[in-house]
Formats: sequence, structure tokens, C-alpha cells
Amino acid sequence: MTDADKAGEVRRSSGVAQNEVGGRQGVDRGRRRFLWVTGGLGLAWLGLAAYPIYRYLAPRPAPDPFGEEGRALVKKVSPADVAAPGSGANGSYGQRGCIVLRTPEGELRAFDSKCTHAGCNVNFAGDRIFCHCHGGMYDFGGKNVAGPPPRPLTPLRVFEENGVLYVAPTDRKQEG
Amino acid sequence: MTVDDTRRDPGIPVAAGREERSPDPRFVPIPPEAEERSSDPRFVPIPPEAEERFSDSRFVTIPPEAEEALPPADTVTGKLGRAFFRRLPVWPLVEFLSKKKVPRHRHSFWYTIGSMALFFLVVQIVTGVLLMVYYSPSQPWSSVQRIVMEIPFGGLLRSIHHWSANLMLLALFVHLFSTFFMKAYRPPRELTWLTGLALLGTTMFLGFSGYLLPWDDLSFFATRVGISELEKMPLLGTWIAGLARGGPDVTVDTIGRFYPLHVVVLPLLLLAVLSVHLFFVQVQGVSEPDSFRALPPEQKRYHRFFSEYLVNEIPIWMALAALLVALSALFPRVLAPEADPAAAAPEGIKPEWYFMVPFQMLKLFPGSLELLGMALTGLIPVLFLVVPFVDRSVPADRRGRVATRVGVAFLVYLVAMTVWGMVS
Repeated sequence: MTDADKAGEVRRSSGVAQNEVGGRQGVDRGRRRFLWVTGGLGLAWLGLAAYPIYRYLAPRPAPDPFGEEGRALVKKVSPADVAAPGSGANGSYGQRGCIVLRTPEGELRAFDSKCTHAGCNVNFAGDRIFCHCHGGMYDFGGKNVAGPPPRPLTPLRVFEENGVLYVAPTDRKQEG
Repeated sequence: MTVDDTRRDPGIPVAAGREERSPDPRFVPIPPEAEERSSDPRFVPIPPEAEERFSDSRFVTIPPEAEEALPPADTVTGKLGRAFFRRLPVWPLVEFLSKKKVPRHRHSFWYTIGSMALFFLVVQIVTGVLLMVYYSPSQPWSSVQRIVMEIPFGGLLRSIHHWSANLMLLALFVHLFSTFFMKAYRPPRELTWLTGLALLGTTMFLGFSGYLLPWDDLSFFATRVGISELEKMPLLGTWIAGLARGGPDVTVDTIGRFYPLHVVVLPLLLLAVLSVHLFFVQVQGVSEPDSFRALPPEQKRYHRFFSEYLVNEIPIWMALAALLVALSALFPRVLAPEADPAAAAPEGIKPEWYFMVPFQMLKLFPGSLELLGMALTGLIPVLFLVVPFVDRSVPADRRGRVATRVGVAFLVYLVAMTVWGMVS
């Protein structure tokens, strides 16, 4: 047993004795307060160190696919690809996937291709829109008609300009 | 599963015979008396005291001194502690560490330098892992630019990584010389000394490999010069330089080599050698200088390592953390323009200070004398490697005094050359 041990023991035992006789409790209370303050300062210090690390790792906002112009060029699909009624194709805008199709009635439509079920990109399959991951199915209106998807696909406004296709957000609230 | 279960043949479905409500026609019912374990002729009955021993043999007995030291058996911590030490017979280790002590004398301060280097290593690992989150070896410069310009606190983390690397090397050099002058390399600590030299070499290699990764013109030319010096080494130089670069010149392929070296291979090597180094220090205890050893036992004063000494280290580590943040905020590491292999080297380009001595030697020994300069520089690590096998005796004899003088000469030479290189 070192000297420090002995001293600690003496201090402890005398503290108990003083408590028992209801004497000076200030010694122990002072020590307790010191420990609380030290612990609190330590935690505050750790928090100060952790905050920059959290900010560094915090998720970055995704870039707006429509940019400042409010519209995005559709890649991999040309107006000719969707000229015939009932035709359609998978394309992309920004970093995202989309489906552009012309309904049998002749209306041009586009949807963000992210499946509302688990986030796979759905596939234009001729007569319907199909998700390979879990068999979700959507009609040409983007409505979920079979399988697990809980909601319709997010529609996009699509238009042709100078021989290329653009998509823009619809007025409806964006989903997923 | 109880002991009882294991002894029963699992092929005999006991339940089917016993439970009359589901008679399975494929099985013969077992007569009730056969159910009794003691009457089963296939098994020899085990006496109760042997059974107790059998079930307990997997556990070790807690030594009485551990029973005393652990919290009371009816508390949660006491139960957990007992459960742990009944499974793992490591109490002697705990006892050994609890008795570990650090001598107190007027040179005690130098013991702290090693733990400072350890602190900087921890900072390097933490900030290095964080930098890897956004660093991309295929877009080295632009990804570092993104860290510095776009990511919150990215520039700060990068600067801390830079400053901590420099201070770690500084701490290692101070540790090297303080150990040298305290003669701690003498038997029986030669292996600790040699692993320490290996740690310094690995850390310098880490500094060199990490320097290339931002791919700015400083890092590009520093790496090109560094490797071309290697190339001048007789015999294997060309071969080693080609392997290091991955071709005749430094390209992004060189990053492909340096990046895994810097983030995986060298850190693993460093941690492996470091654990050996620290293991030796733990087993042998920290070295005592001759003056302390000569004291009569009652005058020798010690700190207990756990936790007297360790607690005193905490404010030092916190001060170092504050120093790192302050240096990084006041002198942030700049990102120079992207490396352009065709452009002229930037004006006033110099290696980091820890490579300044060979750099200065190259300037002093031009042309055909260059090999001599390299040989003289190469002599320094060799002398450090052999010193524990030359200066061995306690108390110091003539060799010990020579070693001290050579050490002083080295120190003066290294500092002078470094300062000269930095100002010239």
C-alpha cells in the first residue's frame, strides 16, 4: 500500500466519522462538486470536439436536378423515340432516372423512375411500367396498379424544345 | 441443455413414449423405469461431487486477491467482474498493470514525449479516417479542394491532420534523443530501441506517402524529387524507384500505390510494431537513468501508472489538442494549384522539415559527390541502429561517454542542417 493509499484511507475514514457526528460535511461536498464540475467540463470538451466532426459528416443536400433554369435536359430519350402512341423509354435527367412515354391516346408524359416502394428505378416494359426488384407495376398514368408500391410514380412535366426533351417539376408536391 | 440431457441418446424420442396422448406407431414406448437415468444400463452413474467438478472445469477459480479487489459479489459490477475473471484467467495481468510504476526524478518529463506521439497518432487516425470519407484517389486534387472549400470543417480537419503529422514526427525525434541521452537503449532494452527506430522510419514513410495525395504542385514535385533521389541509389535504385512510381514518372498511378500504403499498409505496420514496442515497455518497465538507479531504495520515488501517472497525462493531451486546433486555425494548410507535370516547379519549393537534412546534403554535395552526401546521410540511422550493441555497460564507461558526445554532435548537425535548409 502506497502512501497515497494510506492518506486516502485516512481521509475517507475521517470523513465518515465527521458525517456520523454531523460535523463538517463541507469537505466531501466540495470534493463531490469538484468531480461534477470536472466531469461536466470534460463532457463539454468532448461535445466541442464532436460538433465539427458531426457537421463534417452531416448529410449533404442533393443538387436540384432542375437547376436554376427550373428544367432539366432529358438524356437517352429523343422526341423520335416517343413519337408513336404507346411508345416509351427510360432516360435520365440530372443524376436521376425518368421514364418518358406517349399514351395510346397520344399524350406525352414523364415520370421520375424511382419506385415508390423501395427506390429501384422502374422499367418501361412496352405495355406497362414494371419494377424488377419486387414486381411493382404502374400504368401509363403512373398509378400503382399491382405489387407492393404504395403510391403512384412522381409525375414530371415534359416538353419538347429545339428537338430535345426537357422535364420540369409539376405544380404538384414532389414525392420521394 | 443440462448435463442430464447430454447423456441421453438423442435418437430415442423420450417424449413420444412418455406422452400417451400422441402414440407414434413407429416407436416402441419406453418403460417408465428405463426413463430413470440411474437404471439405464448404458450409463455409469456419476457421483454428485464428480458432476460438480465436471460442470465447473470450464471455469477458472478467481484468486483470493481478486475476490478482495472486485466489488461485492451482490452488486451488478461485482457479478460481471466475477463472471469475466471466471472465464478469462487474466487476473495476473491486471495485478501486474496495477503495480506498474513510473520513476519520479528531474528527467521524468521526457517520459511524456512518447505518450504525446501516441496522442498525435490517435489524432492522425481519427482525422485520417474522416478525410477518407470525401477523398477520392481518382480525383485527388478536386476532392481535396471540395474538402477544403465545401465540406463544413473540412479545411480544419485537413490542417489538423497536417499539423498533427508534423508534431508527431517532432515528438518522435525528441523521444529518440531523450531516450538516447538517458541511455535507455542499453540492455535489456535493445529491442524496444530498435522497434522505436522502426516506428520513426514508418512514420516518415507515412509522411512522404501522405504528402502526394492532395496532388497539388508541391506534392507532385516533392514526390518526384524524393523518388529520383532514391533512383540514384547504387544497384537497386532504378528498380525501386520504378516500382514506387508505377512508371518512369510520378502520375496518378503513383497515387494508386501511395494511397493504400498511406491508409492501410503503413498504419497496420505502425500499429503492429507499436504494440510490440509498448508491450516491451510494459513488461520491462520504463528505463531508469543511472542517477536514479544509484539512489538508495528509500529515496526512489515513483508514480503509479494506473492511474496517478495516466491522469496527469490528460491535461497534457488536452493542451496538445488545443495547440493543434490553434495552429490549424492560424496557419491552415494551403492547397496549392493542381499538379501539372509539364509546368515549372513552384518557386522556393522545399521538402518538409523532417526531410530537410538529405535535401541540404544534396545541395552541399553536387555532381559526383552526391553519392558521398547520401552515404553520409545514410550513416545516421546506421549509427542509431548499432548504438545499443556498442554502449552496453552500467554505469557508463568510455564508450558511453563517446555515445553521448556523438549524440550531441548528431543533434547539433541535424538541427543546424534543418535550420540551414529552411532559411537558405
